[in-house]
Amino acid sequence: MNRSIVRYVIGQVVKFEGALLLFPCIISIFYKEKIGLVYFIVGVLSFLAGIAITHRKPASTVFYLKEGCVVTAFSWIIISLIGCLPFVITREIPNFINALFETVSGFTTTGASVIDNVETLSYTANFWRCFTHWIGGMGVLVFLLMIIPLSGGSNINLMRAESPGPSVGKLVPRMKESARILYLIYIGLTVIEFIFLICGKMPVYDAICTSVATAGTGGFGIKADSITSYSPYIQWVVTVFMILFGVNFNAYYFIIFRKWSKAFSMEEVKWYFVIIIASIGIISVNGVRTEQGPVSDIIRTASFQVGSIITTTGFSTADFNTWNQSSKLILVLLMFIGACAGSTGGGFKISRIVILFKTIAKELWSYIHPKSVRKIKIDGVPVEHDVVRSVNVYLITYVIIFCVSVLIISFEQTDIVTTITSVAATFNNIGPGLEMVGPASNFGFFSGWAKCVFMFDMIAGRLELFPLLLIFHPALVKEWFVRKPREKANKIQSSND
Amino acid sequence: MSKSGKAEQNGLNIIIVGAGKVGIALTEQLSKEGHAITVIDSSSAKIREITGLYDVMGITGNGASYTVLDEAGVSDADLLIAVSGSDELNLLCCTVASRSSKCAVIARVRTPDYSRETSYLRDKLGLAMIINPELEAAREAARMLYLPSAIDVNSFAHGQAELIKFKVPEGGKLDGITIAALGWDSDFQVLIAAVERDGEVYIPSGSFRLMKDDIISFVTPRARAKDFFTDIGLATGKVKDVMIIGGGRSAFYLATNLLRRGLTVKIIEIDPARCEELAILLPKAIVLNGDGTDEDLLKEEGIERADGFCALTGIDEENILLTLHARNVSDAKVITKINRINFKDAIAQLDLGSVLYPRYIATEAIVAYVRARYNSTSSNIETLYHLYDHRVEAIEFRVGGNTEVTGVPIMQLPLKEDLLISFINRAGKIIIPRGHDTIEKGDTVMIVTKHSGFTDINDILR
Repeated sequence: MNRSIVRYVIGQVVKFEGALLLFPCIISIFYKEKIGLVYFIVGVLSFLAGIAITHRKPASTVFYLKEGCVVTAFSWIIISLIGCLPFVITREIPNFINALFETVSGFTTTGASVIDNVETLSYTANFWRCFTHWIGGMGVLVFLLMIIPLSGGSNINLMRAESPGPSVGKLVPRMKESARILYLIYIGLTVIEFIFLICGKMPVYDAICTSVATAGTGGFGIKADSITSYSPYIQWVVTVFMILFGVNFNAYYFIIFRKWSKAFSMEEVKWYFVIIIASIGIISVNGVRTEQGPVSDIIRTASFQVGSIITTTGFSTADFNTWNQSSKLILVLLMFIGACAGSTGGGFKISRIVILFKTIAKELWSYIHPKSVRKIKIDGVPVEHDVVRSVNVYLITYVIIFCVSVLIISFEQTDIVTTITSVAATFNNIGPGLEMVGPASNFGFFSGWAKCVFMFDMIAGRLELFPLLLIFHPALVKEWFVRKPREKANKIQSSND
Repeated sequence: MSKSGKAEQNGLNIIIVGAGKVGIALTEQLSKEGHAITVIDSSSAKIREITGLYDVMGITGNGASYTVLDEAGVSDADLLIAVSGSDELNLLCCTVASRSSKCAVIARVRTPDYSRETSYLRDKLGLAMIINPELEAAREAARMLYLPSAIDVNSFAHGQAELIKFKVPEGGKLDGITIAALGWDSDFQVLIAAVERDGEVYIPSGSFRLMKDDIISFVTPRARAKDFFTDIGLATGKVKDVMIIGGGRSAFYLATNLLRRGLTVKIIEIDPARCEELAILLPKAIVLNGDGTDEDLLKEEGIERADGFCALTGIDEENILLTLHARNVSDAKVITKINRINFKDAIAQLDLGSVLYPRYIATEAIVAYVRARYNSTSSNIETLYHLYDHRVEAIEFRVGGNTEVTGVPIMQLPLKEDLLISFINRAGKIIIPRGHDTIEKGDTVMIVTKHSGFTDINDILR
């Protein structure tokens, strides 16, 4: 384990967060809120701490996948710990666990809240909540890859650990350039959404918060009723952009570089839209059958909710708790499916589901022709056995973590729907579940222990399980704490100098 | 974006076909120098390995297929380097690439059949460079057999000048002499460029005192090298009788070279079919069919009496053992071929004497080409060698136009630390520079330095 590089990168993350904390300060200056000072002080302290940590250059800059995973997991824990401090200090969320839950929920782009009425919060605090979504959406380390000079090629291991999807690749040869392209697309789409929202006469502050929260597929609203009270135009804009942010960003890269055939032949994106359209159809038909108002309203509400849940955003324009059973069930299924790999959304990811379904097809085929040799293909390219295997393992791990979490949460004595959907909503980084954690309610009533479980689930879900699980592995813990005699290594080092 | 991005990135877009040992070595060196690299290989496992190690993009597929090359971005590429295992694939790859885009192409071609037609292939297929590691290695080996006291010989200025490495013997003329004294003492026409002592490498100044067991590298015009060794009392008899173990490509090239100079060559090869081929190709050589690691066979064929012994089998371990054995039983000049690039440190500690790394030779030549191409301003890199495990670089620059370094006496130039101007090649004449000499437009200049990444003659200034 290369401890020095882990320390160095985490130091950079801390420094980076210090800089990010200055953004809410700008908002506070604009609204003349004194609590901005708290954000400023926390930001400056964090920045200084970061400088202190990164002052000593790492002895070696190589890192492998395990270092990548460890850095990622610790970075996410540390940014949440620092990010919740302003909430606690300003006493807007006085309870530490609650504040941490809110921040974790923000960075992991979950959007589950513990606050009864968000409209009582200050502008600064509300902006910081939404802004954490934006930071967490594309990833902190991906951003760092763009700005800090990490020599060597092993830094792809950082991206592999943080970016969602069964197989993470680069768009262009240089890591730095790849990260830059991803962030440019991300920023570009956010700005376009902001402009569209402004055109719909949304107040500037609301537009900023809503667009950053959509971009990260987060879901923190700044109104108690989320997006419900805005005009139908704004609701449609948010719907479209939620769905756009759930698309694999490689597709945008192909479009920008005019590789049309590649952009429009992405199997994952195709299935993504098929699932969305089918779900909207079924829910709308259900709505029309039960006569819940004009057809255009029903389609709009259905589209919004479907887009919100499949991309794991978690905004709402209707309390879907009151919908009929089949519509609710479809939403719960969508929670588990999630968005595309390589997007800002969470969940199980469409590409994994496609691979799983093709594995089933292959298995059935092998019953018909026991000696047949078949390869699973995605986009016409054979999927490596390793990827298929890792998807299977991912499914099993996912189910186990889910079941264990549900079991622990069941001690909270809530009803079974609440128990299951609360875990599903946090584990898949969505936000609202059903019944007691539905869109009109929040997670405030759970005990501290339950919130810790939810926080674990949120980070595990965002980092796709293994990076977070890895730091609890005995071998790694041992490697981390037990210092091995390093005389030999030092000798080689000094002879090379 | 790609157009504007290119200027900003400050690096070439390079496609490397083949993630073998040379491919990996090239990837490592070129990505370190800041170029954007895409690697193509048909094995997905190799691609996964290389993308995990270096900041490069990997594509699995056949490098000669246009679809694959297009996916790798051949239309935007500046350079394609084909170093896969097959000559034909490399040539086809280069042909496809040079026809479909404007990028320069380099192919590794190893088969003797093609290597005789290098210039034809280069012109007709539009290749920028054809590299043949075994042929280059054989040339180096031949040179070392000519100067048996040398550990290592590198050629500069199209073979006009040489950088020769050897160990200072105890009690010889060089033991305890300062560099300045050496210069006054004679009209040697040599320049000590670098000295390795106890694991440290020095670029010596005039007051540096040489000691026994120093490994020194000196630059000299080709014709003078032998005289220098005679002068310092290191003359050894001329090599007349060479024994080569292994009958591979490099053995063939070496034997051809040595036979042309009238030496006696014995080749021991285990495969009877290959022996027959060699017997047809090299009628003057003594081709023996047998196991080169058989001690009795070596004895029978007179290993004790041989003046030169080259272990050129395909297995590194065998080569090392053969070398150690040969050093034990005979006084022959011993040359070992090592195919693997890793474990270089460990091998260096074995004190094998002269070691040949065909893959390194190929890599160095290509890296030099890339650096030259990358900087197409006033001067260019002609040759580049890494010495002492990459700690010292010897670079030959072409001075294309008038720059800050031209026309000024060398002693007045503000040179960087740890840097030495080793020779000036003016129209084929090698000048070992003194303080009052100047660099002029049209010269090629060789420098030795502990800095790395030089791309231009002006980089030598502070």
